[in-house]
Amino acid sequence: MEVFFQTLVGGLGFGAVYALVAMGFSIVYRTMGLVNFAHGQVVMIGAYAASTFYMTAHVPFFISIPVAMVVTGLIGLVIERVLRPLENKDFDLMLIGTIGFGMVLESLATIIWGATGHAVPSPVDTEPLDVFGIRIRTYSIVVLAVAALATVALVLFLQRTKRGAAMQAVAMDHEAATAVGIHVGRSNAVAFAIGAGLAALAGALVAPMLYVNPTLGGSLGIKGFAAAILGGFGNIPGAVVGGLAIGVLDSYAAGRFQAYSELVVFLVFTVIIMIKPTGLFGERTVNRA
Amino acid sequence: MRLRVGGFAVAAVAAWFLPYGLDLYGIHVIDIAIVFALLAVGLGLAMGVAGQINLAQVAFFGVSSYAVAILTTRAGFGFWTAAVLALLAATLVGVLVGIPALRMQSHYLGIVTLGLALAFTNWVTNSTVTGGADGISGIPVPPLFGIDLSSEYLYYYLELVVFGLALAFAGFVAHTGLGRRMRAMRDDSLAAGAVGAPVPILRMTAFVLASLYGGVAGVLYAGLIRYVAPETFSIANMFLLLAMVIIGGRQSILGCVVGAVALALLREALVDFSVYAQLGFGIVVVLMVVFAPTGLAGIPARLRRLVRRRRTSDHRATLRPFRPEPAGGPDRVGASLEISGISKQFRGLRALDDVSMSVAPGEIRGVVGPNGSGKTTLFNIVTGIYGVSSGSASVDGRVVTGRRPHQLSQLGLARTFQNLRLFGQMTVRDNVLVALDRSSMLAVWRYLLWPVGIWRAERDLRARADDLLERFGLTDFAEAAPTSLPYGIQRRLEIARAMATQPRLLLLDEPAAGLNGQEVGQLGEIVRAIRADGVTVVLIEHNMGLVMSLCDRVTVLASGGVIADGTPAEVAVRPEVIEAYLGDSMNTADIAAEVESEAVR
Amino acid sequence: MPRTATARLLLCATALAVATAGACSAPGSDSSSQESSDGPFKIAVVNAQSGQLSSLGQWEWKGAKLAADEWNAKGGIDGRTIELELFDDQGDPTVGTNIARKLSSEGFVAMIGTAESAVTVAMIPILRQAKIPNITSGQSPAIAEAGSPYAFYNGPTSNTYDESLARYLVDDKGHRKIALISNNGSYGKGERDAFTSALADRGITPVDDQVVTTDQKDFSAALTSIRQKAPDVLFVGAEEVAAGLIVKQARELGITATIAGAAPMGTPVYLETAGVTNAEGTVVSSPYLSNDTDEASRAFAEAYQRAHGEEAEMHGAKAYDGANIVFTALESSNGAGGAELAEAIRGTEYDGLLGDFDFDESGVGIHETSIGVITAGKLTAEPAS
Repeated sequence: MEVFFQTLVGGLGFGAVYALVAMGFSIVYRTMGLVNFAHGQVVMIGAYAASTFYMTAHVPFFISIPVAMVVTGLIGLVIERVLRPLENKDFDLMLIGTIGFGMVLESLATIIWGATGHAVPSPVDTEPLDVFGIRIRTYSIVVLAVAALATVALVLFLQRTKRGAAMQAVAMDHEAATAVGIHVGRSNAVAFAIGAGLAALAGALVAPMLYVNPTLGGSLGIKGFAAAILGGFGNIPGAVVGGLAIGVLDSYAAGRFQAYSELVVFLVFTVIIMIKPTGLFGERTVNRA
Repeated sequence: MRLRVGGFAVAAVAAWFLPYGLDLYGIHVIDIAIVFALLAVGLGLAMGVAGQINLAQVAFFGVSSYAVAILTTRAGFGFWTAAVLALLAATLVGVLVGIPALRMQSHYLGIVTLGLALAFTNWVTNSTVTGGADGISGIPVPPLFGIDLSSEYLYYYLELVVFGLALAFAGFVAHTGLGRRMRAMRDDSLAAGAVGAPVPILRMTAFVLASLYGGVAGVLYAGLIRYVAPETFSIANMFLLLAMVIIGGRQSILGCVVGAVALALLREALVDFSVYAQLGFGIVVVLMVVFAPTGLAGIPARLRRLVRRRRTSDHRATLRPFRPEPAGGPDRVGASLEISGISKQFRGLRALDDVSMSVAPGEIRGVVGPNGSGKTTLFNIVTGIYGVSSGSASVDGRVVTGRRPHQLSQLGLARTFQNLRLFGQMTVRDNVLVALDRSSMLAVWRYLLWPVGIWRAERDLRARADDLLERFGLTDFAEAAPTSLPYGIQRRLEIARAMATQPRLLLLDEPAAGLNGQEVGQLGEIVRAIRADGVTVVLIEHNMGLVMSLCDRVTVLASGGVIADGTPAEVAVRPEVIEAYLGDSMNTADIAAEVESEAVR
Repeated sequence: MPRTATARLLLCATALAVATAGACSAPGSDSSSQESSDGPFKIAVVNAQSGQLSSLGQWEWKGAKLAADEWNAKGGIDGRTIELELFDDQGDPTVGTNIARKLSSEGFVAMIGTAESAVTVAMIPILRQAKIPNITSGQSPAIAEAGSPYAFYNGPTSNTYDESLARYLVDDKGHRKIALISNNGSYGKGERDAFTSALADRGITPVDDQVVTTDQKDFSAALTSIRQKAPDVLFVGAEEVAAGLIVKQARELGITATIAGAAPMGTPVYLETAGVTNAEGTVVSSPYLSNDTDEASRAFAEAYQRAHGEEAEMHGAKAYDGANIVFTALESSNGAGGAELAEAIRGTEYDGLLGDFDFDESGVGIHETSIGVITAGKLTAEPAS
């Protein structure tokens, strides 16, 4: 029982990070139908940007996050701008293009920060809470809270603001949206920037939990992508649920199958997706039939 | 063609004498490059030719390498026995990885195949039979009639022969019926199904081919390095392989080879700057994707097109008139279509509600109705793209609902699409060839055992394709890309393609949309000739003039139900039809008069 | 048409026959690189310079470079200078085999590296064929199992590390409730096997034995299971970063057991990743505890600091020792490479930073490690019992 709950708590802590990564995937996908395979690497750059700023400029951790978000947001804009000629033409090519961007970002990180990486001291340095023998890291609570805030903010943005409404319209029918005077390119750029910003948030939050090095993005990206698909690609609440689900699945698989956990996680994922290809909550995407 | 043969001959001779100019290091690098080239050819077949995103190619490679290692070192098999079993194992894994492709495509397939590749690495890192993270060493040198294959020079010749055969086979597959069907599926899987290409089997075939090449590469790798470890089959190498295929040109087998060899050599040359090499590969991939999506292999064609555009503005290709000569025998009669009580539900939206109609053999039937009345949905159900919620459709008494599009095509059903679904990256002739090819997928065994049979059938098909293009007046455009042609020609090509399947029932979805007056007239002639040829025709059309003049009977749909059925003249005067179709804002008397005059004409 | 086809066929056949005849005189038979008897000695350092294990690779390069610079400053070996060249294997066995071929073609006499067992094992057959002695910093038994007389370890194997550790923990301190957590990489697997057998020799079965993957991030399940067993000692078999993450999470989950492990746990990367408070009290088995154990290590650390502007650590010291052994052997073989050099290495008794090297049949030179404990962020030696 204790193992059960402790595993759940551990899984949720990382699940919140996967949820943020998955949201980044989804916001881009629902708006422009593009899967950004470089997203994991953007997360990694975000982690580097935030932690470098935090550790060298000695500013509070939660101030370094917005800085990192600006950095990755700009990277997002660059990726979107470069791949724009392919938009609504060939999605497979765009996908491969983003893989190319991933390679570029990873090697750039190696060139800038070196291959070795660094550990990041936890910004919240208090003893873990002890609830009936279940230890809960205070930092995990912070991560969960930030992830929840980010979700709410994103949903409010999409539903309550003009720009958000425009993006919803583009997501539903970009031709009709163009017809009523919405600038589709700008919507896509904003979506890409938001996605990249979310990546930085995820990267910054995960930095003190892990060790920051250029290969950090790979597995975070793949698991985050799997989470987005599991929840229903392009679906924001789905991304959150999918992220938490992947985190928890990962933890339980590690407990039950030990070193074979990765094998089990991906087989389970494949089976779920084959049974329900649109994910748990249904796909939301541009209409491009 | 002769140029190409000559090129191959020169390349073969050069390859034969290459080792004489290389030291041991050089030949080793070349040996490795050939392994990568084999992998790239497999990936090119799956991704470039068949359009299946496959990020598990390294896993196929790994399965076969590991199988050789395990069978030779642990089970005591001889190298070549192990090699054959390893190929089988790789192919089996290919089938398993291909199964998800039946349910999902594009990025979904990307993440699933990537996940399965990770699962494979995870398994080999853990299992004791694979030696865990330490891998398996001590794979024996492959014996070959006393030739000492531990010499990497002699191993090179083994690889060269295998590679030559593999390359020839890949080229043969890509340029004959199987490859053409796969390319059709890549360009438009719905249309491919509609002209009789068995899409699910083709997807599996793509993965089987990829895994076969991965398997061959794995066997050669095991025999060359004689050691396997999980790191060789990492995701980083998968992405490198992807870069090879994209940079070389995924749709061209030779392009994949060029990309693989170039990158393998470049990676070796830049081994002291590996980070910068990776940066460079990434940048080149991005640039290629944006500016040269067909890769290095596509550059000559692009240049040629550029030159031609500048030069040949005087020679004009023209659309010749349609030649209405019966192709089928005079005794051919079209099929009947019986639709009874079909309903179709989309997430709470009722698109069709208890629709019934019956079309007699040899009839031309019009289906009209306002936008959103369910006409295209009905077509999609009859041609097997959608399932039904209830009810059934049958052609000549055989139930067609619940069957797949390609099976229906074999039963004699053909269709065109509302917004044109041509195979955009294939020539006009290939578009027709795909549809002419009625061979069953069971016949693919001939690729392995009787290629001559394939070659003969191919020659025969080409002759028939030329006849068909001639008949539809499209001969001048045989080599053109369909998307470069005027809209009217594309419409006619789509009908030609549908007719190439030798249907007995033809469904045309708004064939006159976007055509000018003259073209509409020609369309009418074509449809009548098709009917005269022994084909029943059902057409959805908004051009009332055409419907009234062409159709024997007309069925009117409105909001998912049939509201009228009868001869054009009968239907046109019914008030409910006029109301549904035009709303009550128009003067119904005017319309009736116009309709009558059309009918007289 | 048929006639031209036949002609073409004939032509092809002729071409093929000519080519086959040509091939009979097998190419590349003069390939074996001749060693020059003057000019510099070419020694290769092969290590990953990118990817996960690149920090090891960089430390090793610095250690070996320092040794070579010192020898060259003294006038080289018999008046010939040492030319050290760095190769990046990218942690990929295939790339490793390419490099091995390159070394043999370009006349390298010896190789130092790699830090990754899989890459080393892939290279061994080629190095053996080319008669290039190789001192690896890997510690997997797979290297010895390859059975090449040209392969040597520049440090102890996992068996040595863990035997010393078990002796300290069980025999000296009397701990009997011991739990294991290791990852499934080459290093972690070797550690797990070695420590388990060292415990078995003492009649102890671990109270828990958890295996995790190399890129696992959350260890809650494994660690909670361990916590329930309330062990006195938690043995961690993983590389620097992974060990740091495991220990950090273990402490956060309230595991108070003594943490123990081999060399990686003595590195600054481990200390940083786990955090100084969490790493406090970690018992480390290592042949090179600190830069302050004796005169030699102090001198090395000072020179290293001067040359590379950073603090020395164990991997640099290992490579430094390995390089020195190769150079000494080259001197005693009078500059001969190949089998003679390998024999010379085997015969070299060298008093190094890691201890007294004395190579046995399997190529292992160090048979002893020391025990240290992390106190206040510093690894300090435990007095030998």
